Amino acid sequence: MDIKESQALRSTLLQEIGKCRACRFCIDVCPSYQATEWVENMSPYGRLQILKYLINGTLDEDDPLIYSLYSCLQCGRCDRLCKAKGQNLEVSNLIRLGKYLLSQGLVKGKKSEKV
Amino acid sequence: MKRSKKFISEVLSTLKDNIQRTGDPFGIKSVYWTGWTKGLNLPRSGETILLTARMYQMLPYIIQITGLVASARPFISRSGLATIVNVGNRIMGDKIIKVKSLGSKNIRSKGKKVLTGIVNALSAIGQRPAYLYEDEPYSGVLLYDLGLDEYIEDHIKKVYSLLKSHNVKKVIGVDPHTVFMLKEIYPKYIKNYDIEVKHYLEILSENKDALRKACKKSLDKEFVIHDSCYMTRELGIIEQVRRISASLGITILEPENTKLDTACCGGPIEYAFRDLTEKVSETRIQELVGVSKNILVECPICLINLRKYEKKMGIKVWDIGELLFGAL
Repeated sequence: MDIKESQALRSTLLQEIGKCRACRFCIDVCPSYQATEWVENMSPYGRLQILKYLINGTLDEDDPLIYSLYSCLQCGRCDRLCKAKGQNLEVSNLIRLGKYLLSQGLVKGKKSEKV
Repeated sequence: MKRSKKFISEVLSTLKDNIQRTGDPFGIKSVYWTGWTKGLNLPRSGETILLTARMYQMLPYIIQITGLVASARPFISRSGLATIVNVGNRIMGDKIIKVKSLGSKNIRSKGKKVLTGIVNALSAIGQRPAYLYEDEPYSGVLLYDLGLDEYIEDHIKKVYSLLKSHNVKKVIGVDPHTVFMLKEIYPKYIKNYDIEVKHYLEILSENKDALRKACKKSLDKEFVIHDSCYMTRELGIIEQVRRISASLGITILEPENTKLDTACCGGPIEYAFRDLTEKVSETRIQELVGVSKNILVECPICLINLRKYEKKMGIKVWDIGELLFGAL
């Protein structure tokens, strides 16, 4: 991914995440949120917030944040809930695209780039 | 959670290297995916092919690798992470074939029954797809799930040109992850993508009367169904498995969280976070066991994740392909 693509992806992600109305209905159906007994970082909403703050530079990549993003099951229950509540964000795909952005710095042999 | 960044970095790098080097997620060059075809005499070429994408055949290796990583992780020191991941890397590749873990024989024979059942069922409704044997590719779904989009395009183009070189016009998939990739993701990377992709359950469901007539015995049993996330929410394949089950004389019971609201088995993150996977799968298995001790699945990842509870909870997990094998 070159710089232009990277910037376009960051901008798309920020725009899409910005559409989230923080209704938080998605968190209750998330299996990883349930399994960790209600840790919001492990919910779809929490993951979107982490992505937002990684992209805008408020947060720095560290072990807990990587754990949170890469433990998303991509099961899509949040997508269905978001659609049902009228917002229709592709939450799980946004998290997956966040992994794509992170992979720039995580895959060995690539020129490391901080998100 | 500790050292997750370093661990994920190793996993992503290994996966990328394996796929680029061999086209296989485990980096195995030896052909481990054709053994199940023995005695079936599937044609080697044809416009319609059955694509297993090695998913059921790789189950024994998934168990071995995830087991190795999980058992070693608690003992690693802060500085020992790289060592253990390197041990994992060394076991990846063809060396893994030499590692015999307990229980792998059972899952291998289960996978063989599933695939044979699918072939028998297709044959019973008059469909005889070809099989690419040693040329059969892996779909690349792990690259997609882990956001390695940069390496997907190359892999997809290789798979597509391989299918075209075999003059393939229609693909019959056996697992939801592969069908999702070939149906939804490949067209985003290939201009004028012209391969028709169907899951075998769709085809059997369209011919359920012929299937019913071909059944040699009615199974007459009750099963609670665990729908796959990809199968329902991504592919919309929901009623097909229920119609086929009815043709086989099976009664399907619905658990809490079913069809479009199905709950994940935890499998997609087992490659790295086994503790969390177990918590997720335990929640799901409790929902299912409350309804019946016979659990029906339709995806290889759900199969290996839920069957871990067979001994502990006195249950039995069946793939729909196994039931087809038993009925035909």
